[in-house]
Amino acid sequence: MIDRLRRVLRVARWETVRAGGGVDRRTLLAVLALLSVAGVVLGGGLAAGVVGIDVDRDVYRVGVDTESPYADAVEARPSLTPVSADRASLGETVDILVLDDGVVVASDTPKSEAAAAEFREAVEAHNERLMAAEENATAAFPLTVSLQYVSRTSGLGVEETLGGSADDDGGAGESGATDDEGDDTATGEADEDSDVSTDSDGDDAEDSDDSGLAVPSVSGGAFGADTVGAPGAITPPFPFVSLLLAFVFLVPMNFLIQAYGSSVLDERTNRRGEPLLVTPLAPADIVAGKTLPYVAVAVLITTLIAVAVGGGVLSVLAVLPIAATFLAATFVGAMFARSFKELTFVTVGVSVLLTTYAFVPAIFTNVTPVALVSPLTLVVYDLQGEAVSTGEFLFSTTPMAVGALLLFGLGLGVYREEDMFTQKPVSRKFLDALAVRLAEVGAAGIGVSPRHRLRALGSVAFLTACTIPFVFVAELLAVALLFALPITVSIPVLLVTIAFIEEVAKSVHLYAGFERGVFARTDRVAVAVGLASAVGFFLAEKATAVVQAVGLTELYVGRAAFGSVAGVAGLSPPVLVALFLAPLALHGFATTLAAVGASRNRTYYALTLALATLIHAAYNFGVVSLHG
Amino acid sequence: MGSRLTIAGRELAGLRAEKTILLAIGIQLFIAAFSSFLVVGLVSMYDPGGLSGAEIEVAGAGDAVADLERASDDVPGASVTRYESAGAARLAFERNAADAVVVTNRAEDGGIDVVATAPDATVETTVIVVQLRELLRTHELNERESRAAFLAESPLPLPDQSGSSPYFTFTYTVLIPVLVFLPVFISGSLVVDSITEEIDRGTLELLRVAPVTLPEIVDGKAIAAIAIAPGQALLWLVLLRANGTPVANVPSILALMTALTTLVVALAVAISALAPDRRAAQFLYSIGVLVLFGGATAMAGGPANAVARLAIDSTDATTGALVVAYAVIAAVAYAGVRRLVAVNGFEGG
Repeated sequence: MIDRLRRVLRVARWETVRAGGGVDRRTLLAVLALLSVAGVVLGGGLAAGVVGIDVDRDVYRVGVDTESPYADAVEARPSLTPVSADRASLGETVDILVLDDGVVVASDTPKSEAAAAEFREAVEAHNERLMAAEENATAAFPLTVSLQYVSRTSGLGVEETLGGSADDDGGAGESGATDDEGDDTATGEADEDSDVSTDSDGDDAEDSDDSGLAVPSVSGGAFGADTVGAPGAITPPFPFVSLLLAFVFLVPMNFLIQAYGSSVLDERTNRRGEPLLVTPLAPADIVAGKTLPYVAVAVLITTLIAVAVGGGVLSVLAVLPIAATFLAATFVGAMFARSFKELTFVTVGVSVLLTTYAFVPAIFTNVTPVALVSPLTLVVYDLQGEAVSTGEFLFSTTPMAVGALLLFGLGLGVYREEDMFTQKPVSRKFLDALAVRLAEVGAAGIGVSPRHRLRALGSVAFLTACTIPFVFVAELLAVALLFALPITVSIPVLLVTIAFIEEVAKSVHLYAGFERGVFARTDRVAVAVGLASAVGFFLAEKATAVVQAVGLTELYVGRAAFGSVAGVAGLSPPVLVALFLAPLALHGFATTLAAVGASRNRTYYALTLALATLIHAAYNFGVVSLHG
Repeated sequence: MGSRLTIAGRELAGLRAEKTILLAIGIQLFIAAFSSFLVVGLVSMYDPGGLSGAEIEVAGAGDAVADLERASDDVPGASVTRYESAGAARLAFERNAADAVVVTNRAEDGGIDVVATAPDATVETTVIVVQLRELLRTHELNERESRAAFLAESPLPLPDQSGSSPYFTFTYTVLIPVLVFLPVFISGSLVVDSITEEIDRGTLELLRVAPVTLPEIVDGKAIAAIAIAPGQALLWLVLLRANGTPVANVPSILALMTALTTLVVALAVAISALAPDRRAAQFLYSIGVLVLFGGATAMAGGPANAVARLAIDSTDATTGALVVAYAVIAAVAYAGVRRLVAVNGFEGG
């Protein structure tokens, strides 16, 4: 064991030296020069006032008289360009025409309507600026609003766990006086309303008048961050700043995986990695050693960022599985890619997919517990100073960590001479990587002990079980993408998509086994491996029923995806057993069907896979309409 | 010219064989789909008025509640029900009969104190708070109007609300520029990979034995990379049009993006010529493109803004001049890089 560690460390040291040579001093100097030029230009631009990230600058043209009181409002809005009214013709040179009394003349094109809406906002902002300059503050801002968040004591008990703690912590940071108020009412004592209004006194209002201008404000109010001020100062609860900071953790990953991918692919060009392969080092040692420096860099950068943005140990621990998954996916990509070009696209694909997967759920932090599927949500919690339970931490990080390990396992399967240095298409390498993990079934037929056969089928079942995290991720992505659609459309599409994902997961390695000659192409073998795969999937799926405890089934769409178990209370035992075993029967039948197809050829496999998907979807539809 | 086209053809054949271009288009599709999904989600959270049927029920109480009711007449997304006391209003809130509670009282200094209560941590909270803000802002405007005598300068009257789609501005100022510029970055990256790979595998040496000069090789690779960019952009623009988003000035947009592709390809060639290996080259290229585009976007007349104005048809004399200017800059940059390669050759090869 110690020996092995020493071997891994030796490879790691070698990789560090080599990588240090790759990005040499000149490159670093060039990068620094580029960045400093950019900094100087941006700084100068900011000082000169020509720089701003208004992507909508000057997109609408407004015909307004220079004498008009509205000219200032238009002038101050970056997205609006004033055009002198006497040269303006609606639809030709201007999108809207503003008369002196503020009446807007617009045509009925979408652009004209958008311009009118933009103009209205410009006038509102202009008025706010005017009022801020007023001396008589009570006349300018007659309303003083204190906004508090209270959880309803009746019903919605499930929301309490997340929302309740958010209320306490967020509120404490904002204003002590109203926070007390919120807590009292949260416990259901509604008899002290009379003193509520005395809380927000005059000086509070004066303080917040300055910030009252930011109308679509982006300040980072979390849920429960009670606010006091003019109505314009109300910010909808959305952890914008924390989210933005969480995103900062993801940015360096993109550069890291570029270097890592290059390093792995470098081994494969011109058979450079061959000397390493013939040493007594196991492929796993080599890969571990090559990866270690990059993990170390990821930890280092993450820690630096955490210190810079005020995150704690939790942030670093939560980002670690994300970094591991980035590296693992890039490793697989670099093992499969045939050229640098292909690697670039694989790297970009990995970046986009993983960034989306990590970032999008985090947007719904505080809204729904589903957000916890992304470890980045933990970072947002951490930055908001909220406590995270061990269960939540494990739920959030374990799937990604396991996924990363499985991906490394997949890539390791082709870390061998005949795959590394050949130009096979990605799909064929993928099948290779899967087939490596399978043991022969029904090949020779002579002298095969039942124990051996059982072990071979066990490896089939295990491989199927290993696909569960990826099935999970794919299904979640599907749920996320279809969430916005109306429920009448999203549910059927979702059911078919999920059935397809699961059927592929259960049968693609069987196809690989038949194609690579690991399995004999007979119907008996096909039925055997199909059933084995179904059992593996069934067991793994039941094992992950833990997710239900975290409240994923709260969502209707979530129930369609994961919930064949919910709502079975009050049924007789035989029915319960039948219900429990029904999925097994379904998996067994559908997978055997696909396996028989896979044992023939690709066309048969595609056809049987489609058929299995339809059967599976029909079954799911039945379950949903029973429980719905 | 023939040798250049041969090399360009070889590059394209390589792309086709690896199906890389399909992957590239897939990635772009994913980015477009997801950014749209995000915006639809976020807009519906922030601007529920943009969605029909989002209406909240406010339980009002306090001695100034009549003004609040008056304000709610002007806000389509909120209706106010008056309750006798704050306690009764709170009770309605607890029983889910109201989405929010607003208790409003006149203060001694002449202002109005408002205590608003929104439900905590549910999906609807954001929608409710946004509508509450809308209601209270209208209330504020009404109050301000009645106190106009005490103001040194009275606010300008607001124009009427128009039924505009919240996605309109986003589509033209973010989605279209992103879709138009993604192929630009992809082309540059392809050139970096293509050149560094030839150097790395030693095939560039073989090419140089053939009767072609180094600038011709570079030309061939650049032609291939630049040629595939406008097609992808055009595909997105046609798709958008089929989706009901008309895009104006398509030829100008394509000319602008081709010029930018040339510029980025020139940058890519220069970096691959100077950097020692692929890792350094890709690293420099990503940083360079980030700096170039980040900087250019922040400047007035940046390419993203120029594309947005062309697409939405808000052009003036400067936009036309910008397109020409970018084309000239790109041509000069490419000629310069070509010369650099001709004189210095490639570092690694």
